[in-house]
Order: sequence, then C-alpha cells, then structure tokens
Amino acid sequence: MIAVPSWIEQSLHRGILTTRYPAVPATAEEVPETAHAPVAPDLATLARAKDACPVGALDGPTVDAGRCIRCARCLPRGLAFTGPAEEAVRSREELRRPGASAPAAAPVLAGFARSLHLFLVDVGSCNACNLEVMALANPFYDSQRLGIFFTNSPRHADVLLVVGVPTPEMREPLRRAYEAIPAPKAVVAVGVCPISGGAFAGTPGLPGPLDELLPVDVYVPGCPPPPVAILDALGRIAGTPRPPRRE
Amino acid sequence: MTRPAWTVEEDRPSDERPVAERAPAYAADDGAFALYNDYHDGRAVLVLRPRAVVPRDVVRLWQGASGSDGTHPLGPRTLTEGYGVFTFPYGPITMGVPESGKFEVTTYGERVLNLAPVGGFKSRRVRASVRGRPVADAALLIERIAGNFSAAHVAAFLAAAESAEGREVPREELWIRGFAQELQRIYNHLHVLARVAEAASQNVGLAQTHALAEEVLRIQGTAFGHRWLFGALLPNGPVRRLDATDRRRLSGRIDAVEGEFDRLWELFLGSRTFVDRIQSTCSVPRDEAIRWGATGPTLRASGVPWDDRLRVPSPPYEDLFVALPVQKEGDALSRVLVRGAEIRSSLLLIEQMLERWPSATSLVPPAEPVAEHRGIGRTEAPSGDLVYDVRVEDGRVADVGWRTPSVANWPLFALGMRDAVFTDFHFALESFGFAFAETDG
Ligand code: SF4
Ligand code: SF4
Repeated sequence: MIAVPSWIEQSLHRGILTTRYPAVPATAEEVPETAHAPVAPDLATLARAKDACPVGALDGPTVDAGRCIRCARCLPRGLAFTGPAEEAVRSREELRRPGASAPAAAPVLAGFARSLHLFLVDVGSCNACNLEVMALANPFYDSQRLGIFFTNSPRHADVLLVVGVPTPEMREPLRRAYEAIPAPKAVVAVGVCPISGGAFAGTPGLPGPLDELLPVDVYVPGCPPPPVAILDALGRIAGTPRPPRRE
Repeated sequence: MTRPAWTVEEDRPSDERPVAERAPAYAADDGAFALYNDYHDGRAVLVLRPRAVVPRDVVRLWQGASGSDGTHPLGPRTLTEGYGVFTFPYGPITMGVPESGKFEVTTYGERVLNLAPVGGFKSRRVRASVRGRPVADAALLIERIAGNFSAAHVAAFLAAAESAEGREVPREELWIRGFAQELQRIYNHLHVLARVAEAASQNVGLAQTHALAEEVLRIQGTAFGHRWLFGALLPNGPVRRLDATDRRRLSGRIDAVEGEFDRLWELFLGSRTFVDRIQSTCSVPRDEAIRWGATGPTLRASGVPWDDRLRVPSPPYEDLFVALPVQKEGDALSRVLVRGAEIRSSLLLIEQMLERWPSATSLVPPAEPVAEHRGIGRTEAPSGDLVYDVRVEDGRVADVGWRTPSVANWPLFALGMRDAVFTDFHFALESFGFAFAETDG
C-alpha cells in the first residue's frame, strides 16, 4: 500500500530552509543586483550620469542612497550596483555618500534588549516593502531565531517599522500608533518611500518624508530593501552579532 | 498596421440581450467609451460615446464609495437598524491585514449584516503625478502602484501607450513582459494560498508555501536583477534579455518549483481541515459576479470562463496554450482551486516560452487606438483583468485612467460577507487576492 504523504514527511523532504545569515554573509541569491546602491568609479562619471537619474539621487559629488529607487538607468553611464547590501544608517545625512565610497557601518542603537517586538505601519506603500518585511517571519528568514517578533498591537511593540510614502490620510493613524508604543521605542524607516518619498517624491498633496513627521532612528534604503537588509538593520538595534564582512 | 482588440458596437439602449451576460469592464471618466465583456459570445466590446455608461452603482464602487453615508452601493439592507445592531470601523491599521485600508462592519454580534471596504488611505496621487511625464518615466510610478503586480501594470500601461503612439514593439520584448507576468502570477497565487493557509492555521503548509513563494522571488531577482521586477520591463532602462544560458538555468529552477508545488498541492487538497474551513465561505453567485463586474480567479471561480489571455489575445499568449480552469461554487475554496490550477498553467506557459523563444528582430504592431493619441491596454493580472486607458501627446502622458482587479472585486467580497460570521473575515478576504495599493493608486 502506498503511504499518503503527510506534512511531516513533506517537512523532512524539504529539510532545513532557513538562511544561515547573519552567521555567514548573505549569498548572491539573497541579494540580487538591485540590493546594492549604485557606486560611481570616479566623480567625472558621476557628473556625467546625473541626467539619467529620474529622482535626483546623483546630485553633486554624492549618490543619495535615500533617494535611489534602483531603476538601473545610471548603469549604462558607468555606475555599478556594487555597494554593500546592508546599508542601514542612523541619520539621513549618512545616506548621501561621496560618489565612489561605501557607507560607514552604523553603530548599534543603545537601550534595547536583545529581543524586539515590531509593529508595522503602512503609510502609503506599493505593498512590496510590506511583503519584504513580512517575509522575515517566513522559514527562509525566520526572524524569531534572532529574537525578532511581530506583534499585532502597538502597545506590545518597541519598534515601529514604517513602510510607504506618508499620505495625508495616514498622518493621524501613524501618530496614534507611534504614541501607543511604550518608551523606549525606535522608529525604522523601511525603503526609500518613507526616507525621501522615493519614486513619489515631490508629488503635490503628499506631506513629505517621514522624518518630518516623527523622529526616525534607523534608515533602511532600497526600493524595496531585501529581507536580509531589513534583518541586518533590526539586528543592529537588538545588538545581535553582525555577519562577517564579505571580501 | 494595428491589431484589433475588440468589437466596436453602437450604443443600443434597447438592447434585448440579457444584462446577465454582459459585464462592465471599464468606463472612461470623460464618457468617451466603455468596455464590456460579452460572456455570451466570449468577446470584448467597445461602445463609443455610450449613453447609459456602466451602471452608476458599479462606478460608485469602482470609485471607492463606502457605505458610510448610509447608502451602501450594493443596495439597501433590510436589517441594519434594530436592537443590538452596531457599525464599527475596522482599520485603517488592521490586525492581520498588512496594508492600510478600512472596513466598516455592521453587525449585531456574530453575524455580519453589512461590510463596506473603504480605500483611499494609501493614495499616492499617481494619476495626477504621471501627467506630463515622458512615458518611460511615468512607467516608474506605474510599476510602483502595486509592487506585487508590477509586471501586469507595466505591461498594460505600455500596451496602451504603444497603441496611443502607434509604436511597433519587438516581439521578444512582449515575450519578456509575458514571461515576467507568469512568474509574478505564480508568486501571487502562492501568496494567496499562504495567506488562506495562515487564516486556516495550516502551519506546516504555510511555511512550505512561503518558502516556495520566496524561491519565485529569487528566480525573479536572478533573471531580472530585481525581486519585484522593477525597472526590468521599462523601455528606457536596460531591458533584460534572457539569453540561451539564462533560459536553460531558468528552466531547471522552474522544474524544481513545479515538483515542489505538486507535492504541496496534493497535501493541501488532502487536508480535510483546510478544505472544510474554506468550503462554502464567502460565496459569490454567478449572476452577481457578472453584474458587479467581478474579474479574474473570482469570476472564473463563479463559473464564467473568461481570461484576457484567451479573449483579448496578444503576444506571447496568442501562440501558446493557456488553460482555463473554472469552478462553479464561487466560494473561497473555488477561488483557491482556480488559483492552484493556474499556478500549474503558468508553469506550463513558462516552459512553452522557454522552448519557443522568439528572435529579437521581428516587430509586432500595436493594438488599434481607441481615439487619436489614445490607447487601451488590457492584461490578465494575477487577480484579474487590468485595464489602462492612456493618452499620449508628444511622447508625454496627457492623462491616464485604469480599472484594477482589486477595485472590480471589492463589491463581491462585500456581498459574500453579508450574513457571514465575522470569524470568516480573514479567509474570505485573502481568497480574493486584493491589494489596497492598487485600489488607491
Ligand atoms: S539606480 Fe536609478 S535612481 Fe538610483 S542612482 Fe541610478 S539612476 Fe538614480
Ligand atoms: S520604497 Fe519602493 S518598494 Fe518600498 S513601498 Fe516605496 S515604491 Fe514600494
């Protein structure tokens, strides 16, 4: 008689699915090309590529990772997606990088226990950032093993994750969610939408970037940032070990 | 030279044809035309300057009218007032719904008397924002209306713009759009399956389905450089070519996904708790599905065999075999069954494409314009028929209108939830595959 396959057998068949990140560096599979912000080989190339950028991320001698929507239009002009995949920083200023350099490693945020409880608020996203954040709970990324949990109530959270470009309609619900989180709390802007408006920057009727509405503690650039980049940013807040640097 | 994409008909207000076989698909807001799907003849119909456009109540729903003013667009309810009856807002930040949107629920405790989805919280003002932009720049915003449906939005938008401009497109580019759309359909159908499994507490199945969905995102990332395909299909960017080596590698990974999916699917269907939980939940009768303009797996689950890939054929689909799975019951189980069958169909489509990849040289004429400088683009997005109406002047977008599957299907969710118990809310909602992102735009 043929045995009916069960969920348990299926689990055994699939084996362990979870990434070894951050114990080992992220694999090329985990960080596609556009997980990296573009870098220019020299300032002359950067200046020549300026006009190709639809969002003004190539302004003067810097690449603004907080604006870059990873559209790849500057690639034919000589830039390359070679920056690090883990590029979260503590201030908006640090995302504006001298054209040909990698970002400084962001310091750990003090005051948090080693486990974090996240509350996600979507203030006007395309849904891709929501899905990348939610992917952290799936077995590939399994954020629970790192002490990172999702909660359904802001009262049980210590980290507010914000995705999307703030709309006037979401201002008030956002403020209420922020106020409901007990101190100490951290606000993480996930994706370039909350950081700069991203592709929607400058749209009439939108109130502007998140840090004009709330104090932002950590900026995670990308459109969207891949799950490993979000995991890294959260790991920095929780003070969990960082991945070894890739050569 | 252009390709026909519809039959043009005179406006005939005294049309004898039963309304039940003709569904509204799009109404231009300047009254220039309306699109209907004729389910009797299986063809798309364009009515120019229609006198009675799409029924007003349907348009109100498409525009996001809610029941909050007491006149629910689905029509009056008999029992919305009385002892113990109350209405409460659920959202816009809603437990277990990761996007922002609201539901107004009228109940007297356990049963839902009325439910009205209320969008508008996520409006990024894309329509106003794209006016005046060059087509390729506008497309950067269009693909970000809903990131998980990006390929469909870009494909329909570009098809409309190309029709407006009378521009021919290399066949290979159209195949790449189709290829990307089929991958994204698989991702979204798996995602819906995972969300329904989560609501039904099928934890092992949930984890495995998530894992498979993640694999599809990785395939997209490897093939197109971006997990959500942004930039990969745009005319002004480095449009990715899939060379023979890429295609061989992809073929191996697609085979593996197919094997995994077959095992998973068998297990889901073998799970009585899963099947029982979603059977008879949130049923959408066939006539109501047609009347309110339901589309995609929602429509096919209610017994109507319509799929844009077959009824509004364009490359690559006109050269490939597209399966048309249909169910009769219209419940959450039927919608899940249709999506499951479509995952198989999309895998098969991808295999067919990889085997018969066209050369880059041949050009395909655009669809005929609907008026001067104005084109319609339609594609079968993961949750249904997506329509774009684009006016292009001097290479710039003069105006754009759209009707997304989420907008078309909200009334059916509201209808199916009438008299349901509130605990069905999550299964019911997830079985439609909505995105507030494309509801609001
Ligand atoms: S990838 Fe696009 S958005 Fe980013 S810097 Fe280059 S051109 Fe600008
Ligand atoms: S940052 Fe990009 S991916 Fe994230 S919500 Fe905004 S448009 Fe979508």
